[in-house]
Amino acid sequence: MTTTPATESAPRLTPASLAVDHRGSPIPTGAMITTRIMELRKRRGLMAALIVVFIGLPVIFLTIRLLAHAFDPRSYGPAGGYNTFSGIVDGALFVFGFIVAATLGCTAGSVDLTEGVFRHLVVTGRSRVALYLARIPAGLAILVPLVAVGFTIVCAVCCLAAPPKVNYDGVNLAPGMSRTAFVSWADAHPGTAICRFSYNGPLQINVPCGPNGIVTNVKSPSGATIAPPTKAQLHKLAIAIANQNYTDYAKTFRSPSDSLMIETGLWIELEAALGFVIGLGLASLMGQRTVPVVLMIILEVILTPLLLHSVIPHLINAQRGLVGLAMAHIEPSALPAVFGNSGNGAPVGVTESTPVAICVIIAWFVVWTALGAWRMAKRDV
Amino acid sequence: MSSAVLDTTVPAGDDSLAVETRGLTKRFGNSNAVDGVDLRVPRGSAFGYLGPNGAGKTTLIRVLLGLTHADGGTMSLLGFPVPRHRDRALVRVGAIVDEPRFHGHLTGRQNLRIMAAAREPAAMDRIDASLERVGLSQRANDRVSKYSMGMRQRLGVACCLLGDPQLLILDEPMNGLDPAGMQDMREMIRSFVKEGRTVMLSSHLLDEIERTCDAVAIVDHGKVIRQGAITELLSGTAFELRIECSTPSAARDLVARTAFGSNVTVSDEGLNIGLAPDTKREVIAEVNRVLVEGGIAVYRLEANQASLESWFLEVTSRLGAPE
Repeated sequence: MTTTPATESAPRLTPASLAVDHRGSPIPTGAMITTRIMELRKRRGLMAALIVVFIGLPVIFLTIRLLAHAFDPRSYGPAGGYNTFSGIVDGALFVFGFIVAATLGCTAGSVDLTEGVFRHLVVTGRSRVALYLARIPAGLAILVPLVAVGFTIVCAVCCLAAPPKVNYDGVNLAPGMSRTAFVSWADAHPGTAICRFSYNGPLQINVPCGPNGIVTNVKSPSGATIAPPTKAQLHKLAIAIANQNYTDYAKTFRSPSDSLMIETGLWIELEAALGFVIGLGLASLMGQRTVPVVLMIILEVILTPLLLHSVIPHLINAQRGLVGLAMAHIEPSALPAVFGNSGNGAPVGVTESTPVAICVIIAWFVVWTALGAWRMAKRDV
Repeated sequence: MSSAVLDTTVPAGDDSLAVETRGLTKRFGNSNAVDGVDLRVPRGSAFGYLGPNGAGKTTLIRVLLGLTHADGGTMSLLGFPVPRHRDRALVRVGAIVDEPRFHGHLTGRQNLRIMAAAREPAAMDRIDASLERVGLSQRANDRVSKYSMGMRQRLGVACCLLGDPQLLILDEPMNGLDPAGMQDMREMIRSFVKEGRTVMLSSHLLDEIERTCDAVAIVDHGKVIRQGAITELLSGTAFELRIECSTPSAARDLVARTAFGSNVTVSDEGLNIGLAPDTKREVIAEVNRVLVEGGIAVYRLEANQASLESWFLEVTSRLGAPE
């Protein structure tokens, strides 16, 4: 292996050659972003983890459900539908998506330091802030399409393999009934409505329910036959129950609606982007990957659910600053609440307004980006 | 955005110097890693920054390149004061600090693409030429994790060349290289100098500095002890006349009676006479004449100038000696 001498002589640094150079600018160039994408994309382990969480897990879960339904449709319901959709979104894509996105962010924020490459980049004279900021579009360019692909698969299966009827409190009903139609149905099936639907109101008659509906010929402990409620009483109660349940029924879908899918897709993308940016900032701040990843898992899996449900009066505003609460607040209302709250995007414990939630999310984006950029600009390398 | 665009004003500075520092200081706690260093690296030369391990060589380079801040003093690169005009100064500077480290999961070419992307757009076009220059074209598409230390050093130099540098700052570039690799690196450095580039080379290998560099600064405990052209520095040193002869002890007695016989020793090889730096060549002939006329058979006469190594040891030990 021998070296080849160059024939030309080194050019002098002239004012003209400097005039076209913008390397002091904090704005990254397109080339910086594309090479950063390449660097991240070539990390096989990390890419495998991202693909498994965003695409692999939903695909495996849905494939098993499809196969089970195909082989034994009586025991296993259709693979898709609204319930499957909401289950995958809340159960896998939201929480695990945040964690793997944070892992990607932590990797992007720390590998240049840990692998000793950052100092080579710094001695090019390029702005350290630009070097840092190039990672954000690069990471998002990997993350956003992956989330989109995984989510599209979920949406497609949940729509195409949706059940013909909605399942409300274990009862198969026609989807999209009006209140009048729903009440009429309850009036026609008072036993099912009374015994299967939940009811929170004055129960003026005693209706004994069995596995198959109202039980007739009920005897008291003394052996005397208890007089069953009259038909009029049953119909009146069924109508009351139907009216109370209609709001919940109206949010039960056979398959996710177009607007719900769009809202949910954007919400999941936002959650993943948040995880990435926070991970990036934290890892840049700490100069390593492992501890920030662990901290991010703790934040998402332990701290957020815990602080969401426990109101601490003296720390209520600090709790409102939790990004998980803000994300739960802006969750699409047709989804069951993430982190196991009461539903409708209204957490059981700490509450906050929508403007506050939006401000909190923006603040987390800005603060962590600024912290990471500041540390990378000031760090000795 | 106008503040981000580099203006066309070339700051005032000594244009004959590639690197200039005055009273440069860097402290770590109570110890001065760089202690009031005044350094003047002439353009178009191979300049050795020589010192033992822990002398503060790498710290000085890190300060120069803005990898860490200075606690005192001023400095300029290619005439641009840094850190004030650091981005402009580094446009035509290539540097390896500590050791060349790259993303191991990427190929050599991909690593260079990342580095080139941080430079001007033309740097992308120099990737192939840089790889060819350092002899890595054949292995450019191999992962860096499979590279030997020598290949990484070469890739580091290729990385420096992406910016078509006027100044290359190489920190211990011979580390981990086999003799052939060191020879290649030496030739490469000399070829850079021939092209008009300046190479600042830090090393603890005296022999390599002596073979490669035109000028040198000796650093110890963060301070520059001496600096200048190697020939000038060594011209002021004493030299030694070694004589292989038939009877060294008798020869010593003969020489001791002459004017230049104050520093005569006998060794296994023969007679050693220490001579002052300004001793004329005729003295050697005179010594030979005295010995021959005294009946001593002279087999060999050799005048040895002190090497950079002996001079370095002399200078540093003098400083370290108790007063």
